[in-house]
Amino acid sequence: MGVILTKKPNLEKPDLIACWPGIGNIGIIAVNTLRGQVDANELGEIESWDFFYPKKAIVTSGVLEDLDFPFNKFYYKVLQKKDLLFFVGEEQPTEGERVYAEGRKAYRMANLVLDVAEQFGCRRVYTSGAAVSFTHHELEPRVWVVTSKESLTREIKAFDNTILMSDIEGKSERGSITGLNGLLLGLAKKRGFDAVCLMGEIPDYLSGVPFPYPKASKSVLELFGKILGIDIDYSPLDQMSNQVDEIIEGIYEKLPFEIKEKIEQRRMLSIPKKEIITEEDEKWLKEHLDELFKRSKGDDKLS
Amino acid sequence: MTNSLKYQWKPEFAYSSLVVGWSGDAGNLGDAVANYLINNLSGRAFYEIDPADYFQLGGVTIENDMVQFPESKFYACPQHNLVIFKSTPPSYEYYQFFNHVLDIAEHRCNVKHIYTIGSMVSLNPHTVPRQILGTFSTVEAKIDLTSYDIDSSISYETTPGQKPALNSFFLWSSRKRNLVGVDLWVPVPFYLMSLPDPKSQKIILEFFDRRFQIGFDLREFDEEIIKQNRMINEVRNIYPDIDDCLERLENNITLSEDENMKLIKMIEEYIKGKPD
Repeated sequence: MGVILTKKPNLEKPDLIACWPGIGNIGIIAVNTLRGQVDANELGEIESWDFFYPKKAIVTSGVLEDLDFPFNKFYYKVLQKKDLLFFVGEEQPTEGERVYAEGRKAYRMANLVLDVAEQFGCRRVYTSGAAVSFTHHELEPRVWVVTSKESLTREIKAFDNTILMSDIEGKSERGSITGLNGLLLGLAKKRGFDAVCLMGEIPDYLSGVPFPYPKASKSVLELFGKILGIDIDYSPLDQMSNQVDEIIEGIYEKLPFEIKEKIEQRRMLSIPKKEIITEEDEKWLKEHLDELFKRSKGDDKLS
Repeated sequence: MTNSLKYQWKPEFAYSSLVVGWSGDAGNLGDAVANYLINNLSGRAFYEIDPADYFQLGGVTIENDMVQFPESKFYACPQHNLVIFKSTPPSYEYYQFFNHVLDIAEHRCNVKHIYTIGSMVSLNPHTVPRQILGTFSTVEAKIDLTSYDIDSSISYETTPGQKPALNSFFLWSSRKRNLVGVDLWVPVPFYLMSLPDPKSQKIILEFFDRRFQIGFDLREFDEEIIKQNRMINEVRNIYPDIDDCLERLENNITLSEDENMKLIKMIEEYIKGKPD
């Protein structure tokens, strides 16, 4: 089990930005877009076979050519203002059938990621994911900010369109971040890194849909752009958002009037109230999501 | 992790071959072949892997009113330089599990060659002769077995949404350690997947018999094959729609999902209800 680094770039106290797939793929889309736009170079990878079951076997004329595993790659970029390290994982390591990381494997992987960060003199770690929120899909998603220390919270909170978990109505001062986003954040704090998690808002009624939510990725990316002082072209995310918006509208139109009416009220409120959708409504949405999605797909030319 | 192996006694091998059979595959092939080898070669258990690190132990499974518990045991057959590993497929930590198996095989038994047994669910009817398909770790391993009746021409890539077979992962893991290996696959008709399939068992045992110059008397399998054919013919005679389904399969006509399910149910119920 280990890390294979193919290069030894000379980086000046880089920030690490790590991401994995999750709800709406909000974090991974934001980070991959950023990585692509700064044209980051591949640095190496964590050997996957210790963490994952292979996803593909390739056999040619009876000979096992290779197995294809989910990748876990490091990238780097030397920039004028701040050098960057990226870590992108194709899957979260789990034990058993769960989707989000937990247990010894996740802990081992998080430590390996931080080992590489440490090796290059990194002092700040960013993770990014989704914040399931009582918002409306036509509202601009805000970015929830969680950090490892107060001064860092003040620094990040100073940027537009950010919100703290404790500022959300109905949320107490306590909350949780599941999977590797949370684990890496905690472990980074334990190991003395500055740690920041940026979570783009996704409406609760869309948190189980099988497609991305690029609108929230854009909010996260905008924040990364401001923090890191990087100019970013948002047009690829805008295009993706337009396509996804049409799918969402297709689903939304088919929701029962009573649920739609409650969700619509969220648009009128500056601070969304969680009481608007009842548990019963949520149950209905979960039970009918596949059906709504299928019907919408059938109607939608884009899908 | 360090306590996960129980050492019972220490066999001595100058070199050996490892045969791997997993429980729960179609036609119960891995388990049945491993059991036959163990019973007929006086195989003696010498190592057992503790299940705690590799299996979900939140309770036990019950099958046919019998408690099932994960088991991963090594058996030595020194007179034929064979090591048999019979195991429940692990639930997680696959690569670590394979390395435990390979550590024992390589360091305790001087294993040089590995043979895994696997079945694949086939849409062919039971009247089609069974054929061994081989996936080899290297071209050299393939050449080494050219004189055997193994179809070594298969090419494929796992389709999206499906997972590679456990044996493929095991073969890949053993190749990382420069061990030579082959996965031996036998397609088993889908309606026999939860029943013993003596034809599949026999063809694999014939391969091992020849490969290791053992001299098995496999006539008991012929009797089992006759019995299986007879029982399926009885089902065909009693239920015309089952006969129609089997006839269409024999003519390479695909059945509907409902027909497939009915075929499985009727044949399983009939054969299981008539054990002798």
